[in-house]
Formats: sequence, C-alpha cells, structure tokens
Amino acid sequence: MLDPVMYTGGVYKHDLIMELVEDLGGYLLQKNVTQSEVILLLLIPSDDMPIMAALAKELRGELVRAPLAGTEVAVVTPTLAIHHLPHSACDVAEYLRRHGAKSNMVGLARGVGREIAQINEYETDLVNEHDACVFMFGNFVQCIVEKGPLYRNINVPVVVTGGPEIPKEKMPYAFEYVSSVGRISHRSKKANELANLDRIVAAVGRALDRARRDIEKDPLTTSPPRVMDAVREQVPEVQSSFSPLPIALNLNGCRIKLPYDEFHQAVSDVTFDEGMRLGDIATIRPSRMKRYILVRIKPESETGFVI
Amino acid sequence: MDPLEVFKVEAPGEEYGEKKYREILLDILQDLGLVRSIGRLYVYADISKPYFAVFGLFRGALPPLLVRDIGDVAAAGDGFQIKVNDEEHLADLVRVLWERYGRDNVEQPDRDILTVISKDSPADIPVADLDREFRQDLTDALIRIAPEGFRNRMNEMKEDSFFFIAAEETLTSEMIAEVREKIRGMMNA
Repeated sequence: MLDPVMYTGGVYKHDLIMELVEDLGGYLLQKNVTQSEVILLLLIPSDDMPIMAALAKELRGELVRAPLAGTEVAVVTPTLAIHHLPHSACDVAEYLRRHGAKSNMVGLARGVGREIAQINEYETDLVNEHDACVFMFGNFVQCIVEKGPLYRNINVPVVVTGGPEIPKEKMPYAFEYVSSVGRISHRSKKANELANLDRIVAAVGRALDRARRDIEKDPLTTSPPRVMDAVREQVPEVQSSFSPLPIALNLNGCRIKLPYDEFHQAVSDVTFDEGMRLGDIATIRPSRMKRYILVRIKPESETGFVI
Repeated sequence: MDPLEVFKVEAPGEEYGEKKYREILLDILQDLGLVRSIGRLYVYADISKPYFAVFGLFRGALPPLLVRDIGDVAAAGDGFQIKVNDEEHLADLVRVLWERYGRDNVEQPDRDILTVISKDSPADIPVADLDREFRQDLTDALIRIAPEGFRNRMNEMKEDSFFFIAAEETLTSEMIAEVREKIRGMMNA
C-alpha cells in the first residue's frame, strides 16, 4: 500500500529524499523547485513512512499527507469570466492543488444562465478524462437545481458547490453538494471560508475513495505510477515537454503530455520487466486535452493477470 | 456597517441570494472606488422570471478635475511651473497642456515637474471629467454585479440616478414597468 505525501523543504540535499524514495520502492510524482524551496509529491510504502519522516526531520523539511496526490480534478465554472475568476474558482483549484491533486480549470462555452445553460460533447469528454470534478455554481437555489443537466452525462463523481443549503435529493446526478461556497468577489481568507474549502477537499476525497473502491473490485493490470516510471525511462522525449507536469497521473491511467500522432507508438512499445508491452495492457488514445496521449490501464478481468 | 445611506436587496424566495448579493455589490463597488458617490441603492432580483435590477441615487455630481487639483502651480521664468502631486492623471494633464499651449511650449524636466511657457496661468484648465469616468466605471460595475447569464441589459443613466436591468430573455416594456413598480415599493417601504 502506497501513501501519498508532500515533502516541502530546502533544495539543499533534497536529492537524498529522492534517492530514499527510489530505494523504498516508492514513486516521485512531481517536483517543483521555487527558488530555494522544493516541493515533492511522493508515493511511499506505508510501512516505510517512519524512515522517510526521520529523514525529512533531519533535513528540516515538512512531510504531510496529501490525500489527493496522483489524481486529476477538474474545476468547472459556467465560463471563465470575471464573475467566477479569480474568486472563487481559483481559490478552490489552488486548495485542491495544495492537497496534492492536479487541478485543471474548465470554463464552459455556454454554461451561464438558468435556462440557457448548456454543455457540449467536447466539454463532457474533457471532464470525463479526470478522476473527479467540482462544478461551481452561484447563490440562487433555482439556478443551482436547474443546472443539473450540465453534469448529467459526466461519468466521474461530481461535487457541486453553491451558496444556499439545498437537500441532496434535488440534485440526483451530483455525488455531493457543498453549500456556503457560492459566488464571492473577494479572496477566501476568513476562517469560515477556509473551512468551506476544506469541506470541498473532503468531498472530493470521498468521491475519489469511492472511485478507488470501484477499481479495487477489479484491479488494474498494473499501477499508474509504474506506467509513469516506465514511460519516463523509455520515452526520454517526455522529459523535454514544457508542461509543468509532463505525466499527469489518474486513478486508472495517466496523461502523457506529448503529441499523440508522433509518440503514441513509442508509448505503446514501452516494455515492463515481465515482458509485457504497455500497448497490450492499456488502451492508448488521443486525449481531448490538446491531443496529448491518454493511457487507460485495462483491468485484470480483461487481461487476466496483474503485474 | 453599510457605507451607503440606504441599501436594500430583495430577491423573493432566495434569502441566501439576498444576503450574498449585498456582499458582492459592496465588494465590487468598493474595488472600483464607487461607494462614496452612491447614496441609496435598491436591488431587486426575481429568479423565477428571471431578471436582476438595480436602482441607485447619486450623492451629487462630481466637479471636473482642474490643473490646480492635481498639482501646485507657480509662476516661473517666462511662464508657469506645475509640481504634480497626483500622478494618476499626469497623462491627461500633459495631453491637455499640449492641446492648449502646443508641444513646443510644454516641457517635463523631471518626472513630477511640468513647465509651460505662457502668460496666462493654467491653474483653472479642466483636466478630466470625473463624473463621466464615474459613470463609465459604474456601468462596468453593474455588468460585473449582474448574474453572468443575464445578457439582455438596459442601463439608464440620469443626472441624479441610474436604473439597470438585466435578464435572460428579451426585455419587454411590461417587465421594465413591473421592475420599476417593485423598486418604487421598496423605496416607499
């Protein structure tokens, strides 16, 4: 069992942390260097956590659990206009990021209004490539309830946020509804506003736990971090991708930020120690996001084995 | 405490929306520095129709901004020297002086010093129409405040008041009359 954690500390000697992760059989998901500070998102075997904690303490770094690490969450707003950004959508996206998730903001083309709101097929497909999504609505009950059709065709768990208290029964397509987070036009910094952001993170955490439980019923042929490691090693071009996170992990695969047409064969030919090709144990298709490469690992019931 | 003399928000059946729209209005008006120029504000929103309306009364027209409001004017040599204290309107000031005296007669030896070669003092030349700027900013604020989907808008700016209505569907004269009646009711309540 791998535990997701976030290490924050000085750049000095942080490579010791990375070496230890490798020795323990864990994975480095993301590395961000900001001047003299480094932030590492890691997956560490649960049993070895005390060893990692001891090294982090020695280096005067901070090691905290990042429950959303290794997942991608979409923050969906009716549009990307000043009514929703930078507050409150950016606050939510940033808060999810601090808890380890890779958050993407999606502004719908025609998501505004009570009666005229709509979502198109492309937008639905794009949101469906994530592990969970947060739909952010406003302060009026009627508007929030009537926007249900926007997320009816979304397959991943949908956390809806809005201002007023609304019984969950009125939103049959939502996984959970988080109230008190409607339209605001100032930065969330008061204690109660931060508590509301915590509630969103908790709701997203529960949504991801459900998705994890579903996956456990029919385990994946291999784990997404292992695919990430193998691709990093065997497709070196991924290291020169300009994206801050060249390989974004999902619960059931990953998105490799290289052009599909040029690199899908190289990704498909990635070979594991057991001799299997990635193309045999996963579906590789173009992502709706900039036509990157989307890898979806097949479950055990399809391949008949787990590596 | 509200910085406005009267500030009423009504949205039938949407108590939470009423409370939150007070905050949104104040946040946006304060961000754009418009609160001090508005005396009374009435907001009426009916989400079942749906429409959103704002009616406000101004505290009084803002006088035009003169050169002496921006800096200290003193006689110097063949003309006058202006020591600029408020840099916000410096670009407007230079443009106005160029128009009045010509580029050859205006110099800027330092960042906040302007010299003008002229016999008459530039102290009373108007630099900016603050009232016009305020009304433009107010229109921008109203568009930001109204729910985003309400894209059919009408904005009526008068000498001492403004009336703004936004709706999802086409605005009809009946709808506008209904809203005016509701706001009149709020004012008399």
